[in-house]
Amino acid sequence: MNIPKVWNRKNRILLKELTKTDFKLRYQGSVLGYMWALLRPLMMFAIMYIVFAKLLKIGNDIPHYAVYLLCGTSMWSFFTECTSQGIQAIITRGDLLRKISFPKYIVVVSSTLTAVINMLINLLVIIIFALINGVTPSWSWLLVPFSLLELYLLSLGISFLLGSINVKYRDVTSIWDVLVQALFYAIPIIYPISMVSQTSEIAAKFLLLNPIAQSIQDIRYNLITTETVTIWNYLDNHAVIIIPFLIVITVLTFGALTFRKRSRYFAEEV
Amino acid sequence: MSMQADGRNVIDNKKSDIAISVKNLHKSFNLPTEHAGGLKQAFFNRLKGIKGYREQKVLRGISFDIKKGDFIGIVGRNGSGKSTLLKILAGIYYPGKGKITINGSLVPFIELGVGFNPELTGRENVYMNGALLGFSNKEMETMYDDIWEFAELKDFQDQKLKNYSSGMQVRLAFSIAIRAKGDILLLDEVLAVGDAAFQQKCNDYFESLRDKKQTVILVTHSMENVTRFCNRAILLNDGKIEIDGKPKEVAKQYTKMLLG
Repeated sequence: MNIPKVWNRKNRILLKELTKTDFKLRYQGSVLGYMWALLRPLMMFAIMYIVFAKLLKIGNDIPHYAVYLLCGTSMWSFFTECTSQGIQAIITRGDLLRKISFPKYIVVVSSTLTAVINMLINLLVIIIFALINGVTPSWSWLLVPFSLLELYLLSLGISFLLGSINVKYRDVTSIWDVLVQALFYAIPIIYPISMVSQTSEIAAKFLLLNPIAQSIQDIRYNLITTETVTIWNYLDNHAVIIIPFLIVITVLTFGALTFRKRSRYFAEEV
Repeated sequence: MSMQADGRNVIDNKKSDIAISVKNLHKSFNLPTEHAGGLKQAFFNRLKGIKGYREQKVLRGISFDIKKGDFIGIVGRNGSGKSTLLKILAGIYYPGKGKITINGSLVPFIELGVGFNPELTGRENVYMNGALLGFSNKEMETMYDDIWEFAELKDFQDQKLKNYSSGMQVRLAFSIAIRAKGDILLLDEVLAVGDAAFQQKCNDYFESLRDKKQTVILVTHSMENVTRFCNRAILLNDGKIEIDGKPKEVAKQYTKMLLG
């Protein structure tokens, strides 16, 4: 399997058209239409801000905590949307798979690209809020795309891996739903990592080795405030820093290989 | 020669007069014996040493060569393996045993209107369906008007597809499908669409294919179409080739089998 063949004209056209359709259908029939792509994260943020920052008074020690929170929740929704769409992709597009022959990865990528578009819209909102909040633009903003790419590749890897098992065993969807809920609390999104480190340094360091936590913290550090705790400034052992990246590479490689091996039978099994 | 990810060999040999070569093709499906769709069932089956599925042999050693310019009819009763064969040729199913060589580009029509979405407008669906056939937006634009003209649905372009009658949907799909260009066309039961007037258009299209020596493989139940368009026919029975020859003889054998 060589790259030029996989990335040929026909596949590009298909990917573009499927992504467009997915995005259109998502907001089809709603009065506000595409506005929901913006409104949903803002509403999520409003709820969390009231509950955590105002009622529970968490995060007073972090500057621009509101934007910091918005950034975290948006990136988290990006991850959950990406994976849940990606895992379901083969099944929702089962009709196509049974009728035409094309590289199956296209449906997974196209369904996750909708999440990417939503995330980019959210990023715009975050930047606007950040500027209003008095965050000064800095060169470090240019590093943000790398963390976003890392988060995307991880989501893609998970989608490939679980998506190919999901075709035969639909339980995967339900298991993943629960796992995602658990993961949410294992990542310093709504609480600052300092809350954990007060009880246990080790636990806090351990939490940061999760690539989702690591990339989200990096984005916050580069985009909003250098007071963010990241693996780079919190872990003394620099050899350990490689772990989250290794996890991403492993999941993506293993996911892609599993997907490739299983994909020849998708049309029969779906 | 290159082995595709879907298990077919695809070549582009202008000199050879063979369009498709199938050698000793086998295919079986693993059908779940009871509802084995869950992890729990899979786990218990493994514990008990049960396979959880039964092997259904659909194709048992099929061989044939198709020459360029042939219009081949593939006939057989329900469950004889026609559609499976077509789907393997199309690269949708992975072949079990055997070798398949495709010489040139192949365009399959397993069903009309693949990817049609009722929530999208006719216009949007045309572009989507075109993309599935490998046409870019630009290419679609150039044939856009012709498509609606042929389908006789010009006034419905911006209606959602769910507001089309099923006959209208099929007409639109057919109009897009006939734009596809390939060295070999695979058609599965797409002849019977629309009302009598539209049916005439379809017949004209198939006649034009036959007259310009387009290589076509047609899976059908209609002996009338086989004798009318095909220059050769293959009768499948229980996953094997029963008879491969002149359309008239095959049609006769098929009728005998049905009555028999």
